[in-house]
Amino acid sequence: MNELTPGVIIPLLLWGTLVGLDLVSVPQAMISRPLVAGTVAGWLIGDVHAGLRIGVVFELFALDVLPVGAVRYPDYGPATVAAVVVGAGFPWQLGMGLSIALGLVLALLGGWTLQLVRRSNARAIQRRAAALAAGESRAIRRLQYGGLLRDAGRGLLLTLLGVVFALAIREHVHLDEQTHLALTLVAVGSALAAAANGAFRSSGRSARFKWLAAGAGAGVLLAVLT
Amino acid sequence: MLRLLAVQGTWNYERMLGVGMGYAAEPLLDDLKAVDPVRHGEAVARSVEFFNCNPYLAGLALGATARAEYEAVPGPQIVRLRTALCSPLGAMGDELFWAGLVPALIGAALIGVVLGAGWWAIVGFLVVYNGVRLWTSYWSLRLGLQSGMKVGAAIGSSWLPQAIERVGPAAAFAIGAAIPLVADWYLRPFGWSAGLGAAGVAMAGIALTRWFAPFLSTVRFAVAAMIFLLILRRVGV
Repeated sequence: MNELTPGVIIPLLLWGTLVGLDLVSVPQAMISRPLVAGTVAGWLIGDVHAGLRIGVVFELFALDVLPVGAVRYPDYGPATVAAVVVGAGFPWQLGMGLSIALGLVLALLGGWTLQLVRRSNARAIQRRAAALAAGESRAIRRLQYGGLLRDAGRGLLLTLLGVVFALAIREHVHLDEQTHLALTLVAVGSALAAAANGAFRSSGRSARFKWLAAGAGAGVLLAVLT
Repeated sequence: MLRLLAVQGTWNYERMLGVGMGYAAEPLLDDLKAVDPVRHGEAVARSVEFFNCNPYLAGLALGATARAEYEAVPGPQIVRLRTALCSPLGAMGDELFWAGLVPALIGAALIGVVLGAGWWAIVGFLVVYNGVRLWTSYWSLRLGLQSGMKVGAAIGSSWLPQAIERVGPAAAFAIGAAIPLVADWYLRPFGWSAGLGAAGVAMAGIALTRWFAPFLSTVRFAVAAMIFLLILRRVGV
């Protein structure tokens, strides 16, 4: 693992900003999926393995989210980046519990900041309502760039806050080994519950449920054989 | 088409994708300025009004309304077309991407990671997803521009309805296979007793969030369970 110097922290903040932007605003290339965000964050810190392990747990939580319409949901991207800062450099069984705990709180906070950005966008549009009604292209461009800037700022601030808390946890929070292990087990158990919930909700009682059951059977078989 | 990638850039609860659609429509409506400046102003104003649908299929509405503007279709009719497209494009796009392609590819990527593919699984996910997504955006914009006011019929006879039917089962299978594999990947090193403990947490999480306390999302359940655990450890239980 690399030392957490500005040379590592600044790329992490940039990555968290991009990941925050990707969730809704631009380009929705799925770099905000925790699996991607966590692994790249782990690579930036010099512990890809931790990034991957933490990313997969958050990915399970994210499977419970169906981002349709105006639904409110947690923002797992910057949260995963900050969580990797907590867990990097430790054996994953010990480092993961606290990192997931921080990440989940940040994800909820991130979901709340999305609402703030949306309300702020609405206020900006109200201020330029006359120009929009007149069909002024310049007003549209200004609003669009303003919206993107607000969301980028949101991603940056969220990542910054997460990294600050992550560094504080690394420095000041010392738990015994049993507590670390138990936290990891609770995190993994909760993440599995989230993924299962998402899968049940998507499949309902339709024919899709049979495919879900068939997949689960295949997964169990593969787990036993490997 | 690049502007379609930022169609949610100004997402808000009043106009939803409206302003993003206007931003994406700007270059498409540019030629109208020279032909009929008044109509151009009206068209731009219409393009930023309320609109909501899945962002990846927004090109269908964008292309169709842009063509209708050039064909001098009456404004209220264009507004009705936009409104009529919101629900079907939202439902089809969400079904195709959020409930279909994304979980299918994420499930496959998780299986790949667990089986040791590492980076390749993640790169594969990004390449396939973005390939499909970019092609769909290009296709939707082109079809919208070609069909104008007849876009509804064009969607109905396209590949879209069939793809939606096929991708759902694939997603269910991939996620179904991924969950036990990921569970094994994490819990095997801990041994049976710890694995049973985690399974108990998972069962409690499912039961509480689905049946007994639906207001409790799985994230809130997880945070509450961790706080509860820390309190128990603190008091020495």
